[in-house]
Amino acid sequence: MVFGGGALLISATLAASTFVIARHYLLDQRQQAAIRQTYLDADLVHARLSSSGARIPAALDAADPPQGGALIVRRDGQWFTTALGTGQETIPAGLRQRIRSGRPGYVRVMVDGSPTMIIGVPSEGTRTEFYRVTPLTELDDTLRALSTVLVFSACLAAGAGIMLGLWASRKVVQPLNLVASTAAEIAGGQPDTRLPATEDPELTTLVGSFNSMVDSLQQRVESDARFAADVGHELRSPLTTLVASVELLEQHRRELPARAVQAIDLVSGDLARLQRLLDNLLHMARTDAGLDLSDRAPVPLRELLLHTLARAGKPARLLRDETTGVTVHGDKVLLERAFANLVDNADRHGEGLVAITVQRDEDEVLVVVDDEGQGVPVEDRQRIFERFATSRTARGSSSGTGLGLSLAEKTLSAHGGTLWCTDRPGRGARFVAGLPVAAP
Amino acid sequence: MWASQRQATRGRLCHDGRMAARLLVVEDDDRIRTVLRLGLETEGYDVAEAACTEDALELFRANPPDLMIVDLMLGGLDGFACIREVRRTSDLPIIVVSARTDTHDIVAGLEAGADDYVTKPFQIKEISARLRALRRRTASLVTPGEQPAADLVLDSGPDRRLVLSPSRGTVRCGDEDLHLTLTEFNLLCELATAPGRVMSRQLLLERVWDQGFFGDERLVDVHIRRLRTKIERDPGAPRMVVTVRGLGYRLDPQ
Repeated sequence: MVFGGGALLISATLAASTFVIARHYLLDQRQQAAIRQTYLDADLVHARLSSSGARIPAALDAADPPQGGALIVRRDGQWFTTALGTGQETIPAGLRQRIRSGRPGYVRVMVDGSPTMIIGVPSEGTRTEFYRVTPLTELDDTLRALSTVLVFSACLAAGAGIMLGLWASRKVVQPLNLVASTAAEIAGGQPDTRLPATEDPELTTLVGSFNSMVDSLQQRVESDARFAADVGHELRSPLTTLVASVELLEQHRRELPARAVQAIDLVSGDLARLQRLLDNLLHMARTDAGLDLSDRAPVPLRELLLHTLARAGKPARLLRDETTGVTVHGDKVLLERAFANLVDNADRHGEGLVAITVQRDEDEVLVVVDDEGQGVPVEDRQRIFERFATSRTARGSSSGTGLGLSLAEKTLSAHGGTLWCTDRPGRGARFVAGLPVAAP
Repeated sequence: MWASQRQATRGRLCHDGRMAARLLVVEDDDRIRTVLRLGLETEGYDVAEAACTEDALELFRANPPDLMIVDLMLGGLDGFACIREVRRTSDLPIIVVSARTDTHDIVAGLEAGADDYVTKPFQIKEISARLRALRRRTASLVTPGEQPAADLVLDSGPDRRLVLSPSRGTVRCGDEDLHLTLTEFNLLCELATAPGRVMSRQLLLERVWDQGFFGDERLVDVHIRRLRTKIERDPGAPRMVVTVRGLGYRLDPQ
């Protein structure tokens, strides 16, 4: 648009100066011609008068008065003219004065609404004043036509400028738009997207470096993911043996001495924690790579929470559902893990889960998880959602995996929800998870 | 081999006097294989072990088991190849064990022909419960004295008469038996208990796989797909086993 404005300005300036110069030149030409003609006419009339003693009107007629104009002569105080209606009154007093004083002169005036040039020449001393009245209408028409053409071409040039500007800017911006949309696609979970190869030598560098940047980023992400998967695989195998072996041992706990049973309980307790840590860690790695929510389905929230409580070994009465049964849209396994982590957090850091309350808030459903611990200081209410936030304030064996709350927060936001921490009225901390209610 | 395996009860005697089910464990990790054997022998199975696909197939041909547990990550031929090879001749229940929880691997394992999956680390009782669920219907089908369920005509077309016979454990197309796996057969029987009515994935998951709320509904979807390729005229445009969007599946006898 700026380009178009510039084009308009430049072409208008050019047109205006062309017009001024042309006008000046044409007028000048015309004026010179008219003055020359006037002298010729004056000489002719004078010659006629002096040689043949002809009368003035006849001499004037022979002098060929200009089209639409007139020749006017004042001789011995008497006025003669070749055109009716164009007489001495046409001639401005100033010009008359000048001629009478023996000097030639000219003036441009409006006569009957049209531009006219009047040239005066004295002859025979001051006995005769000779005036030539030349209409400039023709010149004016020419100038008007010229100005029309100039305005028109200025507009045309501006239009063409705008078009050119748009085309040029589109040509410049188009690859940038493509880069932007490609980057958005990649960020939106299509890491295989690349810029198409181009013939344009000016763009080859851009396309090449963009694509190689994405390539190396993707390799990095993939190697990270592979690393997480490999670590997971390597850790899962020994963990499988451990879990199953401890399970076998526990089947025989009655045959074991009390101290051995105690040891087995310790092992199985920490094994469960290790397992949860590994699960959360792998889950976190996958969450970082963008949660795969392709398995989303309608999930009845009450059932989900009841099963979550059951899995955590909690009684069902801890759930207070104040809704008429709400369905959310999501991945039930991921959501279970998120809520299980909240329950786990209440147990580990909040001296026990008090209640899970489900409330409907217009298009949202709030799951309120209360504990009766010391609560969370205001300044820590953001920090606790960071990874391994607990490890900095680790308190012996009660510390959790340090990933639970972070993972819960990430899972809920991937489901279009939120998670925040506040005070429970009275005592303890309150975690509120908001999730959009699925359309029925 | 197909029909006879549904009633296979050879092998050593169990504690309660019944014949123990024979189980083949294919797993390349010695320790996991050993603990599986220990645990599942305690549960009353007659366990054979194989460390790779090649050994497993040899054992399988020499002495066909009743059930299989297959790890997907094996050296040499992987678990998918093992399952596909076994499925060419047998309908026995197969459980996949995977260290990966990727959607892709699990679905691929099921597509290859597995009936269920368990991710590592698992507990013996979890595997044992899955095995029991997969065998449950087999046992009930041959329970003597039970009122046999009536045959159901699935497709009455003259050129392609398809009959489900729950009591005999067969689906016949004309004069031929269709080769359905045990789970596919059970799934079809479950749908056939209420032809024309929608059954939710969750319900099918509970009835066929004996799994609770957190069961994986993809099990149902993959098995429905496999079932369709065997019984539908055009599996790409199924008319017998119909998907009811958002609700589940429905059996429409033609």
